[in-house]
Amino acid sequence: MKATLGVLALALGASGALLGVGTFAVGLARHDDRLLRVGRRYVFVVLAAAVLAAAVMEWALITHDFSLQYVADNNARATPLLFTITGLWAALEGSILLWTLVLGGYLAFTAHKFRNRATDPLVAWALLVGLVVALFFFVLTLGPANPFKTLATAPADGRGPNPLLQNHPLMAFHPPMLYLGYVGFTIPFSFAIASLVTGRFGEGWLAETRRATLVAWGFLTIGIILGAWWSYEVLGWGGYWAWDPVENASLLPWLTATAFIHSVIVQERRGMLRVWNLSLVIATFCLTILGTFLTRSGILNSVHSFTQSAIGPTLLVFLGIVAATGIGLIAWRGDRLRTPGRIDSPVSRESAFLANNLLFAALAFVVLLGTVYPLIAEALQNKQLSVGEPYFNRMTTPLGIALLFLMAVAPALPWRQTSRAVLRDRLIVSAWAGALAMVIAVALGARELAQVLAFGLGAFAVAGIARQYVIGVRGRRRATGEARPIALVRMVRGNARLYGGLVVHVGVVIIAVAIASSSAYSTKREVRLATGQSATVRGYTLTYTGSHTHRSGQKNTVSADVRIRSGGDDLGTYAPAISTFPNASEGIGTPSVRTGLREDVYLTLVSSPNQQGRVIIGVAVNPMVLWLWVGGGVMALGTAVALSPSLRRRTRRVEEPVPVAPPPPVPERVPV
Amino acid sequence: MKYRARWIALAAGLVVTVFAVVLATQVGTDPRADANKSHLLGQNAPALDLPTLDGGRVGSSDLAGKVVILNFWNSWCIPCQEEHSALADFYGRHAGDPGFAMVGIVRDDTDGAIRRYVAAERVPYPVALDPGARASLEFGTRGQPETYAISPDGVITGTRFGPSSVANLEQLLAAARGQR
Amino acid sequence: MAWVALAAVVVVTLAIVAWPRGGKPSAAQRVQSVSSELRCPDCESQSIAQSSTETARAARADIRTRVAAGQSDAEIRQAYIDKFGPSILLKPESGGLGILVWGLPAAALVLGAGGLVLALRRWRREPHLRPTEADRELVQRARPR
Repeated sequence: MKATLGVLALALGASGALLGVGTFAVGLARHDDRLLRVGRRYVFVVLAAAVLAAAVMEWALITHDFSLQYVADNNARATPLLFTITGLWAALEGSILLWTLVLGGYLAFTAHKFRNRATDPLVAWALLVGLVVALFFFVLTLGPANPFKTLATAPADGRGPNPLLQNHPLMAFHPPMLYLGYVGFTIPFSFAIASLVTGRFGEGWLAETRRATLVAWGFLTIGIILGAWWSYEVLGWGGYWAWDPVENASLLPWLTATAFIHSVIVQERRGMLRVWNLSLVIATFCLTILGTFLTRSGILNSVHSFTQSAIGPTLLVFLGIVAATGIGLIAWRGDRLRTPGRIDSPVSRESAFLANNLLFAALAFVVLLGTVYPLIAEALQNKQLSVGEPYFNRMTTPLGIALLFLMAVAPALPWRQTSRAVLRDRLIVSAWAGALAMVIAVALGARELAQVLAFGLGAFAVAGIARQYVIGVRGRRRATGEARPIALVRMVRGNARLYGGLVVHVGVVIIAVAIASSSAYSTKREVRLATGQSATVRGYTLTYTGSHTHRSGQKNTVSADVRIRSGGDDLGTYAPAISTFPNASEGIGTPSVRTGLREDVYLTLVSSPNQQGRVIIGVAVNPMVLWLWVGGGVMALGTAVALSPSLRRRTRRVEEPVPVAPPPPVPERVPV
Repeated sequence: MKYRARWIALAAGLVVTVFAVVLATQVGTDPRADANKSHLLGQNAPALDLPTLDGGRVGSSDLAGKVVILNFWNSWCIPCQEEHSALADFYGRHAGDPGFAMVGIVRDDTDGAIRRYVAAERVPYPVALDPGARASLEFGTRGQPETYAISPDGVITGTRFGPSSVANLEQLLAAARGQR
Repeated sequence: MAWVALAAVVVVTLAIVAWPRGGKPSAAQRVQSVSSELRCPDCESQSIAQSSTETARAARADIRTRVAAGQSDAEIRQAYIDKFGPSILLKPESGGLGILVWGLPAAALVLGAGGLVLALRRWRREPHLRPTEADRELVQRARPR
């Protein structure tokens, strides 16, 4: 019964999308406003259908209805409730269902937001494109990725989710956040296509969808950080980023979206880079589809191998159609978009944004090339190759350092052009802060070039951001006499995008410094200990005090208690473990991490007690990993600030005046 | 350039098309296909010197001049458990042949678990332990079960990654004998 | 002038960091560097240095032995390629097809940067529009009193 209901819901969604597409198409062709209004309603039908289908699936999961193949494969009677609920996205079919749900939500929100412009062809085209994408995903669920397939005879108990997916409550957040990110990019993409088709290139669509892009970007950022956290705290291999194809698939749209967020500012200010921005938006959406394809098609080796399935060809065809449409439209209309804008000086904020885009594009290219290179080698030479961390680190580190430099310098660069005097005033203090940080780092013993540069440029950037805040507040107080906290809040709300963006930059710096520290200065060792024995690693004394075996439901866990002491202080007992499930072939390790402000002590149980009662404990001391998560939080905070509604002010924003060079006599610089 | 956007877009389209073709040709293939073929095929088998479960040792000298089947396995891997009966069956057929030898080498498991498994399942052929995983490394194994067939003059004539049926094993054996 | 002092400090600091440290890398360092470029045979993408599987530990011990026996990095890598195939390398080789994966990004970056520089130069060369007297009069006449 549930299966029928579910399939009906999906069919409702598909037909709603189809009818919506048809209504919009006819309405647009005939300039019929009534049809356009009707078409809008189908968006809500699609949302309702997706909600219904998801609800039915959750219902089936919670009631352990094993007549559905998806439930039998991903759930068992003993599965805890949380992981039963998260079972909705534990495997392919459910994930596509989640995709339709999120897409329905975004489309409905867009339709609602533009309800007063429902007859505007731009909006109509955007919704049409969005409905086409929704139609594709519903067709996927009705065909190759049907979550409501039934079994002839329902087994007594299900297989249960993959053990890796029931290890940690984070499973409830990581995939939905990623999807809120990925799917969110459909909206700017739809508007980009609409803009190209209607030939309306004014800033209307840009401003409207800027927020949607930032929201999607924010969710994707959180999703990626959560994934890194999961990798580190739950998977237990000791690191947070493996340059795994699936990880790279999530990074690619993030890179192009970040480039877009920056270059769209140039478009707003100077009217330039329209074609480039449209291309970025279309590329971002294509990359989300490509990412899904790489993850789900089984075409690449990955630690996410449980996600492979047979929908590869379908996704590839869809990707081809989307890419062809985007490229075709740009080829057709692109030249009409070009504006006679120009950049006045290579040392200006516009140039910095251009350089930013160049670097992000290069980064995306490197990550994409490295990820698909094994496929190219296989296709051309029938050789099987791997591309791993050494390649990616070598190629991305210089680009990352260059980006850090830009982040430090660009916010202080004036628009259009500047003079040396202005540059000096704005940058010299922050630059000295950066130099000082480098000197201190080297004095404390840092000897890796990339790390020292990261420290220095990071300090440079943070000092510059602090300066912006301080000067801004000072200027405000001079004008309004407000108290500092009030001035700060009002200043931020007056230009939420700028000040929120600066906070995001602070988060990026924190992450960059954390990555630089943990990659250069981690220590890793394995120690074999009998009960009561100790070992010392980097000043920490670890004593193995005994092991326990624990059965819970399907899980059989062997854990080893290790007491950590440092310089006389007892830091507590930590218990790395290995869990075995009856249906999985090997044990799943669970690390135990002592998180510290300065460094983590990361324990893994390499092998459980042998006949003599000895265990092998993996010990790693990883500096600054906590700050990765803190930096992620700061980025999320900054995004929230940037999204908060700006105060609309009557008076023009007062900006630092820029003397035009080189006028003799040099005018007095007006102090702000 | 007059229609600059058009040209750049078409160039991009060309690159994307090539890319899509590459992806399309790889869709059906198995990225792990490499693991199904050992790179030691046709080369001399590495030297062996391992302790057996019953306290003795087994080495290349014991196996010289015979057709050898080596099976890397452990007690927790499900395909290993699946092929267990086929292996026992196969051994039973050839155990009497003095020119035949078969050894099960343990890969990535604890002594205790192996002993329990061998006792419970009554594994008939000799089982060797691989302390320090040297044999596992020397033979270029990537997982388990992996089966190697070695001819009497010490050349690896056949390998099989994954669970084997009796027919698979007979094939490996025939290929190894064919070297003579 | 302040810039010069700053530049001096930065250059000196970087020189201290980047100065080639005397002596060859120690055996332990060589083992670490070689094993971080080889994939652990029974992992998806972890290196031999990172992984804790039994095979990875055996491989680390093996590499230690080889380094102690005087084998070069290239020889050790080749030994592993012979046993496991080219997919055991985590860093693609620079020759042959490897030119694609190492060279293309650099080429793309150079092309992109070059394109930017050219565009900037072109914009510079384009004549700045400057208002003429006739333009100013036009504006004066149009302004509301």
